[in-house]
Amino acid sequence: MKKYRMKKTIGYIALNIVFILLCLAGLIPILYAISLAFSKSGSALSSGLFLLPKNPTLENFRKILFEEPFFVWLKNSVILSVGTMVIAMTVSVEAAYAFSRFRFRGRRSALKMLLLLNAFPQILSMFAIFRLYKIMHLLNLHLGLILIYAGSMCIFGIWNMKGYFDTIPIEIEEASKIDGAGNLKMLVKIILPLARPAIIVTSVMVIIFVWNEYLFATTFMLQENSYSLAGGLYQLQADDYGRNWSIFSAAAILVSVPVLIIFFCIQKYMVSGLTAGGVKG
Amino acid sequence: MKRKHSYIPWIYSFPALLLIGIIIVFPILYTGFISLTNMNLFHWMNYKVIGLGNYVRALSKINSGFFAALMTTILWTAINMVLQIVLAFFIALGLNAPGLKLKRLYKTLLMFPWAMPAYVSILLWRVGIYNTEFGLLNKIAVMLGQPKVNFLSENIPAFLSCLVLNLWMALPFMIMMIDGALQSIDRSYYESAVMDGAGFMKKNIYITVPCIRPVIAPAVILTTFTTFKQFDIIYLLTMQKGSYTGATLQTVITYAHQNAFVSNNYGLSSAVSIVIFGIILLFSIFTNKSVKEEEANEKV
Repeated sequence: MKKYRMKKTIGYIALNIVFILLCLAGLIPILYAISLAFSKSGSALSSGLFLLPKNPTLENFRKILFEEPFFVWLKNSVILSVGTMVIAMTVSVEAAYAFSRFRFRGRRSALKMLLLLNAFPQILSMFAIFRLYKIMHLLNLHLGLILIYAGSMCIFGIWNMKGYFDTIPIEIEEASKIDGAGNLKMLVKIILPLARPAIIVTSVMVIIFVWNEYLFATTFMLQENSYSLAGGLYQLQADDYGRNWSIFSAAAILVSVPVLIIFFCIQKYMVSGLTAGGVKG
Repeated sequence: MKRKHSYIPWIYSFPALLLIGIIIVFPILYTGFISLTNMNLFHWMNYKVIGLGNYVRALSKINSGFFAALMTTILWTAINMVLQIVLAFFIALGLNAPGLKLKRLYKTLLMFPWAMPAYVSILLWRVGIYNTEFGLLNKIAVMLGQPKVNFLSENIPAFLSCLVLNLWMALPFMIMMIDGALQSIDRSYYESAVMDGAGFMKKNIYITVPCIRPVIAPAVILTTFTTFKQFDIIYLLTMQKGSYTGATLQTVITYAHQNAFVSNNYGLSSAVSIVIFGIILLFSIFTNKSVKEEEANEKV
């Protein structure tokens, strides 16, 4: 029995070592970027392997915040995320509600169609959109980009919130019907408050999506002052990354921290939200 | 629940469907139209319809690169999915070992790569890990007295580099999914299996895998799609505008993008896009069916 316990302890020590190594493998690129962001520009590139910078400095953060148009990019990113969130959510909430509550002809095929459309990579029709936008003079406008994001996130929103609406018991609606509430009043006063968790999570995920998107942002925004954070950072590293690399690291950290915080706050719901939407079809 | 007015749900969903129609469906149809024309930089406005020529060009000529790209994509998806599922399965099993005390800490730390914005991670890896001069890997190589390696300049090393990065970014999601599925398994199955003398292998093959299969199937399908259409990693690592690394690795998606925005051959690129749309369409109808069948089997 003693031998068995020994073996078990050794097994757990080994397992812990494996997990420590795995976590390190996951974190090293991030830690390396953090260490570069705090070290003097230039010195980090020359040599040394230390994860802790010798003379930590905030110089890179000062440079990115005040010598680069960081706040302009930030403003643009906020406009894009919030705009997309507002448009995508206003249209997809009612649609999700309709697809969850009503049984009508064409419902199943519409839902399937949405799922198929969601599987299509939008990059493939990017040129078509680009050409249409160029003809209609929508390039370089926030509105144009917001519409593209909203269109693609709207499908996600419908599926995600439909799953949640399905779990709200129908009796609540029937009761309010008897009390004389109309369709719209019921939706606003009763259903939306009940579905608040789903609405918040979906909104946050829309915001994160827009915050993290770079390809459309860099293709459709061609002027310096309309760049989003993604576009700005992309530009920063594309210029001459030898010199800018530690500034880029500082910017990368500034951009990632809010996303990391939000992510870990809603992480629990994210997994259940994603699986719930996928299984029911 | 039955409602009398069948037009009401359409009114509710009209704004959403209109938006999707304009932003998603119409561009796909327009791509289909462009694929039938000879539109390129020189024929920006005065293009004309040339029929199926672009499709013939994309599909028949081996040297047009489409088939190579398709093969790369299939290889890329297959290797990635196998590695991801196997690795994530064992990591999740490890996380669920009953005596592992720091499990919550490990879980949180392992999630970081998933939470980072993708383009930030990729750019960090490009310069911070793979770069010939400043990259961590080459710094380690120099310290060990090895020659510097140019990870992204040739196809096979570039493919492997992309693979490692994709695993780094995608494993957390898979681990999380499998971990969730593992926790839903009834412990008593294992107890009776141990009574019957089942070992580690047998327990996993006959209990764990069948139990988690229906739960993780949607996640696996979702990930297969994202892996198949993965664009960011390959594009940002090897072929950003103006800073090609030398590798000529192409997946179907980067191939279509390259033709549209770099060589400005809009007709050909649209034809390639439509072919890929077709492949994805077939694939998703197929997977949809198999998931349905699996669900039906579960219920019986």
